[in-house]
Amino acid sequence: MTSPAIKNTSGVTIEDLSLSFGSTQVLKGVNLEIKPGELFTFLGPSGSGKSTLLRAIAGFGPEPEGRILVGQDDVTRLPPWQRNVGMVFQSYALWPHMTVQKNVAFGLEERKVRPSDIRIRVDAALKLVGLLDLAERQPSQLSGGQQQRVALARTIVVEPRVLLLDEPLSNLDANLRVQMRREILELQRQLALTTIFVTHDQEEANTMSDRIAVLNDGIIQQVGTPLELYDRPANRFVAHFLGTANLIEGTIRKTRGKTVFTAPDGTAIPVEGAGLKSGQDCTAMFRPQSLEVLPRGRGTSKRTGELPGTVEHREFLGHLIRYAVRVGKHVMLVDETHQSGEAAYDAGDSVIVRLRKEQIQILQTQ
Amino acid sequence: MKLLARGQWGPGAVALSLGLFLIVFLIIPVGQVIYVAFQDPNSGALTLINFIDFFNTSLFRESFINSFYVASMSVVLASAFALPLAYFTTRFNFGGSVLIQTLGVIPLIMPPFVGAVAMLLLFGENGSINLLLGDWFGINIPFMQGLNGVILVESIHYFPFILINLSAALNNIDRAMEESAQNLGSSGARLFRRIVFPLAMPGYVAGASLVFLKVFDDLGTPLLLNINTMLAPQAYLRITSVGISDPMGYVISVILVAFSLLALWTSFLALRGKDYATVQKGGGGLMKRDLRPWEKAGCYAVVIFILLLVLSPHFGLAILSFGTVWSYSVLPDGFTLDHYFRVFSTSSQFITNTLLYAGLAATIDVVFGTAIAYVVWRTKLVGRQWLDFAAMGAVAIPGVVLGIGYLRTFYAFNVPVIDKPLASWWVIIVIALAIRRLPYALRACVAALQQVSIMLEEAAENLGAGKRRTVTRIVVPLMSGGIVAGFVTSFATASVELSATIMLVSAESDAPLAFGIYEFMQSASGRGPGAALGIIAVLIVGIATYVSHRFIERRESERTPVAAATAGV
Repeated sequence: MTSPAIKNTSGVTIEDLSLSFGSTQVLKGVNLEIKPGELFTFLGPSGSGKSTLLRAIAGFGPEPEGRILVGQDDVTRLPPWQRNVGMVFQSYALWPHMTVQKNVAFGLEERKVRPSDIRIRVDAALKLVGLLDLAERQPSQLSGGQQQRVALARTIVVEPRVLLLDEPLSNLDANLRVQMRREILELQRQLALTTIFVTHDQEEANTMSDRIAVLNDGIIQQVGTPLELYDRPANRFVAHFLGTANLIEGTIRKTRGKTVFTAPDGTAIPVEGAGLKSGQDCTAMFRPQSLEVLPRGRGTSKRTGELPGTVEHREFLGHLIRYAVRVGKHVMLVDETHQSGEAAYDAGDSVIVRLRKEQIQILQTQ
Repeated sequence: MKLLARGQWGPGAVALSLGLFLIVFLIIPVGQVIYVAFQDPNSGALTLINFIDFFNTSLFRESFINSFYVASMSVVLASAFALPLAYFTTRFNFGGSVLIQTLGVIPLIMPPFVGAVAMLLLFGENGSINLLLGDWFGINIPFMQGLNGVILVESIHYFPFILINLSAALNNIDRAMEESAQNLGSSGARLFRRIVFPLAMPGYVAGASLVFLKVFDDLGTPLLLNINTMLAPQAYLRITSVGISDPMGYVISVILVAFSLLALWTSFLALRGKDYATVQKGGGGLMKRDLRPWEKAGCYAVVIFILLLVLSPHFGLAILSFGTVWSYSVLPDGFTLDHYFRVFSTSSQFITNTLLYAGLAATIDVVFGTAIAYVVWRTKLVGRQWLDFAAMGAVAIPGVVLGIGYLRTFYAFNVPVIDKPLASWWVIIVIALAIRRLPYALRACVAALQQVSIMLEEAAENLGAGKRRTVTRIVVPLMSGGIVAGFVTSFATASVELSATIMLVSAESDAPLAFGIYEFMQSASGRGPGAALGIIAVLIVGIATYVSHRFIERRESERTPVAAATAGV
């Protein structure tokens, strides 16, 4: 094992997959295309079906409708032990009656690998995760991070076609989590192994993933790179789930070549006109850092997206100050970076909120 | 260094009196037994001569081998009952699971000797089953012949120890343990052998060693089946027929204690460091799968067969208690309520005595159990672990041994006022029962105490309640579920205890139920009333268990919000 890259790694295709626990439908027609070598994340709140989807790829849980392909092979009806997709469990699931070495050797023994090769490959895998000297320990003698590495070694040693990670960082403390995040990413790059990662933490998803599928209520909400999802969310759910968002419902008005988004309370915001129809109901989404707070005093100009408002309260977050500014009937969150010594607005101050139109994302109202 | 810090005098005094009680009624009597076993009967010098005599006597050698054989075979047979039941219930989505878990525990309610005679009538050489087998197939199976009978009766009664421990072990295996093996390519029998079996093994061994211990120490069953060539009956017979100074009874006692310790140690070793608390969030228990129709039929057949067998002593006892004459026939000639009338008219003192003794013993147990639990877990008293250790030590002392120890130690001690030796006063029976059941009550109390967050105590102290007020107003009420559980376990098992009491009952008017059953069952004409007493015993125990179960359930449902709130801290 001079080059650790796993050669037979494959993409995963999910076609119209639905799955129910009894009468509760947990996955509702999921379609996905995961490319070979990609680090792909299922992101969603608890109960969104993300873990169920991952387990379905490994062959656990109730039998689904639809198809799951690993590479070109339809594995939908295969039992878990014939799929060769490696899974790292949330609880690590290290067998407490076996040493680290025995745990890692297990999968190779099941595959009837020659004992001399097993030794070599187990050592190589343990070396890869930096645990070679703990091979004779019992799992209970290891720290959480070490157990996690053993679970990884145990899974990759069999050279699976896909690596599945079910909330692998959720049982670790904050510092370790950041470190393991990097280690997993490094390992994934080194092995060039298709990896599917389940998490409910958007920061984890953003920092690790090539692409993310956001799930809610058993439905894929959007698939894209972290940047795409953050900047161009497809709907309110994705907008909220990937960060703080201001969302205002209203209607598009087009007059004399200008496009304006108008809320029922009269708040009007100029927006980019391309692809929008007059009279269309929609939601305007903009992130707090896309806004600026200016002192009132000058006249307001609707053309440049400047809206009069009143500061309701402010939160000091260290690197920035978050203002809640009432504009018409809406409360908009505005983030201003904080420089030392800079004065801040107080609750009750009359201000102007400035919004640049290229920062506004128009979401279709469903 | 001050031995007792301020505020420890109260607990200190309590601990001291508890310690004194245990020394007088457990450590000294058992120490006496051991001492006498190693004492030359003539010169009084320490010697091994008694043990050499023991192994030079063929009767004792035979008894030793028989006891060992019966205990081992009972483990084997009990395993044969428990393994399929445990496997089916933890492995399959199986409607019978609840049935098995409830019915499977029923044998524990009744001690084996109560059903022994009924088993003789059902499975004996001329019992119902063999009569039927003879009619249909012309065969006769010696189910109850000699040691077979003891093995069958004991394994039927004690297999739940294996069932409970093994089921718990299987249920505690995190599903991910199995899934990760499947994910790595393992399945079927290999997966079972390499993952499931090793993980469940400690639970099995713990249950099996308990069965061994119980059978090895049991006195009533062999006596009633008229098997005297086993250790416990020999000890009893030597003391009661040869006399209290005969060293052989003491030698046997030492051997019984040694094997009990060995069995407990095995169970301890099996569980030590194998605390496979493998259940983590995400759901415990093995994967359960649905059964195909023919598999389901097969499972039900096995389960029903085992349950029928397991419940046969109870059925047999019920039939016997209502039957007129039952001999050389499949069922009794007729049915009657006479036995119950006879029991209530002439022998109701057995029932009242039992309620009194078991009630007192169980009260002592939970009071002492709560006190010991508190002293051990919530104070920093020097040597507090020894209290726990001594109280738990009673587990390893067979009833016969305790009985012999009491006779030896307290015969010379005359209780003032009533002018009788303490060893033949009924109070000694209560104390023996309390000592015998203390470990079970103590464990229940400790478990209950550990559920009470120390913060709840601190909150009370912060608001000005002293130690004593805190314990009585906060700790004990919060422990009440566990205390009731402990009381009922002690009460139920004490009300059918025979082995210690049989040695200590000096007058029939002082005798409890178990002794009455034993006395009645000695004669053919007494079997009916004996069985009626047995049924009454089962009812008392059953009702007590049911009521406590309901009580604890209700408490728990009331308590849930509090528990959730404290867990959230």
